[in-house]
Amino acid sequence: MKIFYYSLLLSGLLLLQGICVHAQHAGLVTGVGTIIRGKVLDKEKKPVHGVNVTEVDADKRIIHGTTTDVEGNFALHITSPKNVVSFTIVGYKPFTEKIGDKTYFNVSLELGSIDMSEAIVINTRRSDNGLVSIPEKDLTIASAHINAKVMEEMQATSIDQALQGRIAGVDITANSGDPGAGMQIRIRGTTSINATSNPLVVVDGMPYSTTIPSDFNFGTADDQGYASLINIAPSDIKDITILKDAAATAMWGSQAANGVILINTKRGSVGKPVITYTFKGTVAQQPSSIPLLNGDQYSTLIAQEYINGNNGRPLNTQTQAPALAYDPSDPYNYYNFGQNTDWVKAITQLGWTNNHNISMSGGGEKARYFASLDYLKQTGTTIGTDLTRTTARINLDYNVSDRIRFRSDLAYTNTNNDRNYVNGSSSTADGIRNIAYNKMPDMSIYAYDQYGNLTPNYFSPASTLQGQYTTNASTSTYNPVAMALYGRNNILTRRVTPHFNLQYDVIPSVLQLTSDAQFDINATKNKQFLPEIATGLASTDPLYNKTYDGDIDEFIVQTKTTLAYTPTLKNDKNSFMAFLSLQTSDDKSIEQQAASSNTASSLLQDPSVPSNTTTSSAALSASSTETRTIGAVLDAQYNLLDRYILNAGIRGDGNSRFGPSNRYGLFPSLSGRWRISGESFMQHLNFAKKINDLSLRFSYGESGNAPTTDYSFYNTYSTFQYSYAGQAGLYPSQIGLNNLRWETVAGKNLGVNIVLFNRKVDLDVEFYQDRTYNLFFPNLSIPGYNGFSAVNLNVGTMDNQGFEINLNLQPYRSKDWTVDFTVNLAKNENIIRTISPFFPASNTGNATGNGLYKSFLQINNPLGSIYGFKYQGVYKDQASTIAKDAKGAPIVDPSGNPINMTYSYPSVNYQFQPGDAIYKDVNHDGNINYIDQVYLGNSTPKLTGGFGPTITFKGKWKLSGFFNFRYGYDVENTTKMTTTNEYGYNNQSTAVLRRWQKPGDATDIPRALYQSGYNWLGSSRYVEDASFLRFRTLTLRYTIPPQTLKRLKIKALSAYVTAENLITWTKYTGQDPEVTLPGGNPFAVPTDVSVTPPPKMLTLGLTASF
Amino acid sequence: MNIGNGRLIRIVCLIGVLGTGSCKKWLDLKPQDGIVSTAFWKTKEEVAAEVIGCYSSLLAPPPSGNGSNDRSLTEYLFMWGELRGDMITLGPGASSEEVDVTNVNTLPTNSITRWTAAYRTINYCNTVIDYAPGVLKQDPTFTQASLNEYLAEVRSLRALMYFYLVRVFGDVPLKLTSTTADADLQQLPKTAQKDVLAQIVKDLSESEANAVTTFGDKVSDKGRITKYTISSIQADVYLWMDDYNDALTACNKVINSGKFGLIQGNGNWFTTLFYLGNSNEGIFEFQYAAPVNNPFYLMLESPSRRYLASGYVSTDVYNFDSNNPLNADIRGDGASLLFGDGTIWKYVGINSSTALLQGSYYTHWFVYRYADILLMKAEAEANLNNGADALSIINIIRTRANALPATALTPDPTDVNAVSDYILAERAREFAFEGKRWFDLLRFAKRNNYARLDILLDLVTRSVESDRQQSAIAKYKDFNSHYLPINAGEINSDPSLKQNPFYN
Repeated sequence: MKIFYYSLLLSGLLLLQGICVHAQHAGLVTGVGTIIRGKVLDKEKKPVHGVNVTEVDADKRIIHGTTTDVEGNFALHITSPKNVVSFTIVGYKPFTEKIGDKTYFNVSLELGSIDMSEAIVINTRRSDNGLVSIPEKDLTIASAHINAKVMEEMQATSIDQALQGRIAGVDITANSGDPGAGMQIRIRGTTSINATSNPLVVVDGMPYSTTIPSDFNFGTADDQGYASLINIAPSDIKDITILKDAAATAMWGSQAANGVILINTKRGSVGKPVITYTFKGTVAQQPSSIPLLNGDQYSTLIAQEYINGNNGRPLNTQTQAPALAYDPSDPYNYYNFGQNTDWVKAITQLGWTNNHNISMSGGGEKARYFASLDYLKQTGTTIGTDLTRTTARINLDYNVSDRIRFRSDLAYTNTNNDRNYVNGSSSTADGIRNIAYNKMPDMSIYAYDQYGNLTPNYFSPASTLQGQYTTNASTSTYNPVAMALYGRNNILTRRVTPHFNLQYDVIPSVLQLTSDAQFDINATKNKQFLPEIATGLASTDPLYNKTYDGDIDEFIVQTKTTLAYTPTLKNDKNSFMAFLSLQTSDDKSIEQQAASSNTASSLLQDPSVPSNTTTSSAALSASSTETRTIGAVLDAQYNLLDRYILNAGIRGDGNSRFGPSNRYGLFPSLSGRWRISGESFMQHLNFAKKINDLSLRFSYGESGNAPTTDYSFYNTYSTFQYSYAGQAGLYPSQIGLNNLRWETVAGKNLGVNIVLFNRKVDLDVEFYQDRTYNLFFPNLSIPGYNGFSAVNLNVGTMDNQGFEINLNLQPYRSKDWTVDFTVNLAKNENIIRTISPFFPASNTGNATGNGLYKSFLQINNPLGSIYGFKYQGVYKDQASTIAKDAKGAPIVDPSGNPINMTYSYPSVNYQFQPGDAIYKDVNHDGNINYIDQVYLGNSTPKLTGGFGPTITFKGKWKLSGFFNFRYGYDVENTTKMTTTNEYGYNNQSTAVLRRWQKPGDATDIPRALYQSGYNWLGSSRYVEDASFLRFRTLTLRYTIPPQTLKRLKIKALSAYVTAENLITWTKYTGQDPEVTLPGGNPFAVPTDVSVTPPPKMLTLGLTASF
Repeated sequence: MNIGNGRLIRIVCLIGVLGTGSCKKWLDLKPQDGIVSTAFWKTKEEVAAEVIGCYSSLLAPPPSGNGSNDRSLTEYLFMWGELRGDMITLGPGASSEEVDVTNVNTLPTNSITRWTAAYRTINYCNTVIDYAPGVLKQDPTFTQASLNEYLAEVRSLRALMYFYLVRVFGDVPLKLTSTTADADLQQLPKTAQKDVLAQIVKDLSESEANAVTTFGDKVSDKGRITKYTISSIQADVYLWMDDYNDALTACNKVINSGKFGLIQGNGNWFTTLFYLGNSNEGIFEFQYAAPVNNPFYLMLESPSRRYLASGYVSTDVYNFDSNNPLNADIRGDGASLLFGDGTIWKYVGINSSTALLQGSYYTHWFVYRYADILLMKAEAEANLNNGADALSIINIIRTRANALPATALTPDPTDVNAVSDYILAERAREFAFEGKRWFDLLRFAKRNNYARLDILLDLVTRSVESDRQQSAIAKYKDFNSHYLPINAGEINSDPSLKQNPFYN
């Protein structure tokens, strides 16, 4: 470790020296030739060796330089006697003297150095929009800021995890609790139905790509499931700012329509080198799952279910299902299918995380550095999942002079993520956990031989009652333990991001030019292997030992040139600031993918191994895409009397993803702030002194969103991968979307800032409405007779509106005690205003089938309503199935016989039987059909937020807790549906033990009915209120007082313990009520499919600085 | 200082120029894989490739992009033709959607009602029809005659697709123009079945004149549309329209060409006709060949297969000679099915006992073969009151197949109904599992304003679960239930498309 450190430092210094040499050389060309000489001594009159002696001009630019020898002597060519000569060396206070006529300098240096804390004097908190920095009190936009102190406590592996629940209006949910799984970040809900509703991430002023092209097959991950944000080590982050309103995001143009997250990494500051070591160790435990049937209960259920569903014909245990026979004379089946296996438990383990971060920062007047190395190793709570990440970062600042400054940052990340093999293309389609939930519990994990002896081989028959492994994720099954351990899904990412920045004061303190160039070299490799020992497929099957190898190389070049103008106005009662920024980006990606199958052994896991490449599941493909964007922003801010602040801007965008007719877009923004507390009428009020700030803000801004795919405006032709009658065929593969336009978000925001009682109360209230025009809908279903079944279209107008409240309180403060309290609240809803005729009016039409809920597109009504049948229990006996009219009298047919309650007459015409589910016959016609579907709930939370206190004692002890909650939202509990539907061969929850079995049984669970009946129609049975309050984190930190540390020669030392996801209070019966909220899609409602839930975690952390 | 100043400004200018000066061109990017339409439709080779593409789409969904996760057309044709018939029963892997269709309980959400596979091919055909004529100007070596030949192929193929659609769904939207850009997207109402049929007849008769009699090689002759394929489709369409004279004329065109014949009913019959394919008997077959497998492994052979032959097929359709097992209908055990376990063998076997290896399922899908022409002719003759002629044709088919006396009938040649029943029964034996059963049943049942509805009502006792038979019979009495509902997804995305009557 130490060696690495020195080498890091050395390489940094070498780089700096290079710059120095260059500067000297430039000076010599015009040099005059005067030489000054001298001697440098310390207070004890001993010569100081290695002192940097430099000639510095008025802008503090180094003209010439040299160092003193062992005797402390030096000689230096100088250019002009008007300059000064400067003497610096680490450990001594710097010394400067005007040259003038002097040619010999006797210098005596004093011991000591400039401390970090002395160097940085903070008088006003400044915030920036990533382009220019503006004092926070003058901000006209809605933003939220999180500083390093808060960041420090988080034990998350990535920033998005750390931000979860912290900021009003920022909703972050994990797609799954597995290592490396992505987070869904939503700032103020979604303004788009676009696949990329994720906000733009800007690191150190440059956009940071977080998506992987969607046509790249990750097996598991849709593009949101893959967490690129994991590439930044949280310990390297200085602060995070979130831009929420459209006026703020308008500056960033396309991609920023969903909000902007600005991340600044730590930088060096003047002072002695400070070495900081941070350790975080976490243990995570999976919360207990829904209780499931054991093997014996399962086989009883299935036998009954089959008889009920097949007219009393029992399952033939000889031919159809030896699995249920329990025949001791057939030891192979008796033992292999006679177990009580808890599959969920079998794939679950304790998860461990280790994170080490070591950094060094420091610097002098001219050069500053921050270097860090971070190592993370995480094993997930599902077996076979882990993540290893190494990041290294070096941030260098060099001041050539007061007018020219360089910054050069280099970040490298290497992540190695092992995931479970996933069948299908969506992250929730078929997790191993899902298979484990459904898997027959009477099956053994390991196989027994035909004599009944346990063998070490996994028991993976090619086919069981439940079917076999297929590419159709919803019907596929396999041995989840073998799949978790031997299936491979490895994602290896290497990312290098060099970033160069040059600042030049064209006119000092008036006109500043900043130029950035960033190169992002991102290589991702995905290897997958589907082992035969988990699927049990025959060796000729195209899926037998299927291997996959995919590579994607992305190369992004981004530039940004900003010219900021801040004139000094004669009248100091007003101020003006303007900037012009030009931005370009060029994103090239090259993909190569290969797949083959039928390799000879489960150890041969690479497609290059001689194997079967002729089957349809094998493929070889390569593609390359390129996206270019260009943008220009002009923005100006005027401040009058510190009370009236107005900001106006305009941005032009060009994007290569549009056809020539719609390629450019122009997006204006306007925002203002009125500081009421500054008005004279306020000053006369009695309580005026208690008000630190009272401001009203408004903003309006537009920003454009580009499509997610390249080249979609071209009509293209592709080749079939096979010939027909010996000839190659072509087909029109892509419809040309010439009419695709910019999706424009026009946002309005009204905000109030109130700061009271000497900043003890800080309240920020925001009301907003974002109206999205030309709403972009990817894969909109269109009538299939057009030859295409789905296209991307601009379909309408959608509003996204709500409010946010952020409150920071300091209710108590004394010499020893400080109590802080923070609360955030938000509500957001989506409303469709206009929509294209292609857009369906409801998700299912009038049709109803098992498992389907209905949602309607209701113009001008908030989205998220769920419709379905009202579940009223179970028909107890034959008599109860008779249909009744509104008065409760039996309904009779024309011949006077009472009729049974019927489902969907005449097209289905199913007569309800005893033991079937009772649905409310709303119109009392004796027929349950679509007319009887009623409103069951709404999935938009009425309120979301978080709160938590922080208590500090004597600056040593600190206790902080954080709670987050969602209130008033309904979720479709799909897991409950699939574990109580008693419809197929999947394992069920223990709730079905109280199912209806014989006439007279009064229960709430209908009879088991194999592949028939209508017992699990979308009904109130599976719609649940998932409101919850979660005790998310509790942290206790102890900081060792500096006096104690001084003796140990340690600068700072603190340790903490954090518990996460301690308790969740909820009435929800599923595994975890915090279900990912789908955005924008008018019909999407949150469905709980039991992905790996966030585990309970305990973290031990340590931070030490030397 | 001054040095830096000037240099920096120059660099900034350069960046500015690079960034903005040429941005019009800079933003103009083209894909590197796939051909952009503006560069396409220039040569006759491209037209040829595009025509072949129409046929390729019959075998499997497109490899990428729109519809790539759909079922293959062949799978739909099998399901549409057999699920509601009485020849199959469901296997362990069948889904509840399949259960619903067999029990006459099809909901609009049922994915088996998706018609996209057929319309995809229709759109490919429409694209050729719209753009191929423009190539005449671009490529001087492309002649009007060869353009007409290509157009005859794709228009007939389009007609065949529409013919399947009207038989499955009744009234369907009639789209005759291509969709290449978002501006082409349409929202169409349904066109009445008789108008769609009129368009089919028009397309076929216009194509017939231009179509080739041979492409010069056997594979293309059986795999692409020739004059004789057109006549075969015409015969089928006219029978559906109860136009027996035209049906007879069409059949005779094929018969009189002398290019086709029945494969001899010996030990090699199954292998020659089905496993090898493209025999003298074949007229139009979907040309499955390496590397594209037909969909039947998972449907018919894998442990979790979805379909088995109904028990009634071995006992009643083919029957067996318990005294002499060697005296058997060659179309029965070891050909259409295995009597032992009910495996549907037609697409699984190499010969009567050896199964194909998984991954090499290349048995063709048989749209028309000569036996079909003969039996269609018999059907036309029967309805033209030439019952004796019809019976003699049936006997040719039965003799070739060594049909057992137990399945022989002796109808009065003047009794159209009795002769028709015999033809229907013989068609079941001859074309078992070739995706024709339901269409045959419905065609016979609907004739003369549903005079033979009893055919469908009798069917119910063989094909529907006993507890659902009454409800199924009640449904079949409503003629609208004979057509599948339009998939809910289509109805949802097109307000002018009305659901088929019965399913509202």
